[in-house]
Amino acid sequence: MSMSAGSTVARHGLGAIGAFAFLALWELAARWVWRDVQVLPAPTQAIAIAWNHLTPSELAGHVGISLMRVAVGFTMAAALGITLGVAGSWYAWIGRLCRPVIDLLRPIPPLAWIPIAIVWFGLGEGSKWFVIFLGAFFPIFSNAYRGMDSVSPILLRAARTMDVDGVALLVRVALPAALPDIATGLRVGFGLAFGILIAAELIAADSGMGYLVMQSRQIGELGVAVFGILLIGVVSLVSDLALAAGLRHLLGRSAQI
Amino acid sequence: MTFGPSMATPQFKIEVDHLGKRFDSDGPALPPVLDDIQLKVAENEFVVLLGRSGCGKTTLLNIIAGLERASSGEARVDNRVVTRPGAGKGMVFQQGALFPWLTARQNVEFAARNRGVPRGERGLRSAELLALVGLTGAQDKYPSELSGGMQQRVAIARALALDPDILLMDEPFGALDELTRIEMQNELLRVWAARRKTVVFVTHSIWEALMLADRIVVMAARPGRIVLERCISIMRPRVITDPALLQLHKEIWEALQ
Amino acid sequence: MTRRARGLSGGQWIAQYASPTLVIIALLALWEVAASVGWLRPILFPPPSRLARSLYELATDGYPEGVTLWVHFGITMQRILTGYAGALALAVPLGLVIGCVPLLDRLTVPVVAFSRSVATLSLLPLAIVWFGTGEGSKMFLIGYGCFWVMLSNVVAAVQQVDPLLIRAAHSMDTGRLGIFTRVLLPAALPRMFAGARVSLGVGFMVIVGAEMIGTIKGLGALIMEARTFYRNDITMVGMALLGVIGMLIAVMLQRIEAWLLPWQSRERR
Repeated sequence: MSMSAGSTVARHGLGAIGAFAFLALWELAARWVWRDVQVLPAPTQAIAIAWNHLTPSELAGHVGISLMRVAVGFTMAAALGITLGVAGSWYAWIGRLCRPVIDLLRPIPPLAWIPIAIVWFGLGEGSKWFVIFLGAFFPIFSNAYRGMDSVSPILLRAARTMDVDGVALLVRVALPAALPDIATGLRVGFGLAFGILIAAELIAADSGMGYLVMQSRQIGELGVAVFGILLIGVVSLVSDLALAAGLRHLLGRSAQI
Repeated sequence: MTFGPSMATPQFKIEVDHLGKRFDSDGPALPPVLDDIQLKVAENEFVVLLGRSGCGKTTLLNIIAGLERASSGEARVDNRVVTRPGAGKGMVFQQGALFPWLTARQNVEFAARNRGVPRGERGLRSAELLALVGLTGAQDKYPSELSGGMQQRVAIARALALDPDILLMDEPFGALDELTRIEMQNELLRVWAARRKTVVFVTHSIWEALMLADRIVVMAARPGRIVLERCISIMRPRVITDPALLQLHKEIWEALQ
Repeated sequence: MTRRARGLSGGQWIAQYASPTLVIIALLALWEVAASVGWLRPILFPPPSRLARSLYELATDGYPEGVTLWVHFGITMQRILTGYAGALALAVPLGLVIGCVPLLDRLTVPVVAFSRSVATLSLLPLAIVWFGTGEGSKMFLIGYGCFWVMLSNVVAAVQQVDPLLIRAAHSMDTGRLGIFTRVLLPAALPRMFAGARVSLGVGFMVIVGAEMIGTIKGLGALIMEARTFYRNDITMVGMALLGVIGMLIAVMLQRIEAWLLPWQSRERR
């Protein structure tokens, strides 16, 4: 089945039409059907209400702090997750030490860590970083571990016959071979991290996009909540796409992300 | 069910008339996949289409089967133009066409049901056919539990369950190892002797063609066309060292260069 | 090929689980010692012995007073399962339709992708306005989270059916309805089941967060409440219970899948 450039445009075009139709439907229904801003405001109404309640700098501040929290937590998770995943697979004894603990802790839903994180780190940034870290860590670790595990033994044998062994074998052969899986883990981990960030900000924070949504209840303006929800969706989509693009750039054309 | 021509004029089972095929995505400069193919297959004849990969033999088979459409000309079965698959044209694919969620027996019964065999008789019919292809012990196994050769036996039994007039086989033994392949060729001849049908068999193996065919149709690529046709009247089972066969092999080999 | 498919003998099973079990036991022992000696503050890191007692307390007296762990567990499961069932009931037929009609898929892709990326919990204020602070809002959230994940998985399941199988069915004179019910559906089942598993996991995660806001019954609420009263031991027990439940659900689903789709796990010996 051949796919010409024309059909790609058609695909994106249809998608755009679908999205636009959805938004239009929402807008019209909100304005003509239920006409109550406190039930569900139209997208444009939500933006207007938010505009009334927030200054642009406040908004930027919330988005910024949310992104920073994700960045910190995710980076820690990536660093530790990849290191342990790779090392745990390559050096069996490391694996035997970490895997039981990790496998035992993994089933605990990341959000369940919030109360104990508050106990250990207080209500400040630390607890948010910790919970985000935990959420992203497990998929990153698992994917890195599995990626290393599934490196074709034939590849390794071929490299050995070319006098590549030990650490060089790990770095020059195994790691590149496992990179696509590691990248997948990073993407999955990031998605989870974002969801956890928002939840944490909803439950126990005084800044950030999640807090913004929660605040709408205090000030009694649903429009702010709707705006916040849309904002979160957009920011998370954009950052996911940015991450994917970054990973693709790093990995070159051989990987499919 | 033929009216008209008297017994003196032989009716051909399959007729391919000035058939041409060109892919939509190909530019005008590229030669067609099939170029003005003329072929007549008599009833109960075993015809082998032989050629390298890409010479159009599979495309020709698919058009006869009704799975693909010709760009020009037509293919007729029983004097009726082929427009759709099914309807007396049993097909055996190279691999992977067995339904993985059904056992061997159930796969055959699937076809029997389509043939209109009443529920009570289906088990009997499938058992009979599986015995014919030599698979009595493995009826309740899933395809994933069967070897390649056994899977193809099931595929043949399933195609036969439809009681087709013609059997179209697309490199059915191509994915098997050499020894199993030879075994399956003999099995096919045995089954064919028991249930005579018109067979069109596609392969890229000259020896396979020489062992099986009543008539070999040699095809070349770019444009896809017939370059040689030879009838073989040697009795089966044939012996590799038969000088007539060796001579034919030489002829065909040269035609393929 | 999974170890189960290869069939571990009793001795091999022990060997596989011996090492991890030892590691865990060693760590628990270390924890116990560290807490009693003072390296770890017991109030922050209640030792395993304390946790065992708290578990007993939770099972008998309950926390808060009278609300035993069975009650918490029951409420949480009830919320998850209702939301989940509702989501599946909607997502499966819709997904099948979208999967079979490529035009619909292309139209809805961005909407589905965006809806999935909306952090489900952020819909809480909306849910409360629409359904009140009771069960309805929580089940809506779970349903929302599960729905989009299941939907995209069902669509993918349909699209990933091997076209060769459809061709084979065509060549066997199967009618259009027959192809849908006898070929497409069974072929898509494994992937749909995978989607059901992931979807349940999502529901599980959502409920924990949803219960932390504005309710005192349910496992999520339990661990949040306990923290406010410095009962960190209860919090940890609650977390462990959630983990255990998560594992049990996963194992149960695996069993169901093996029963429902027997051809997946068997391979040629």
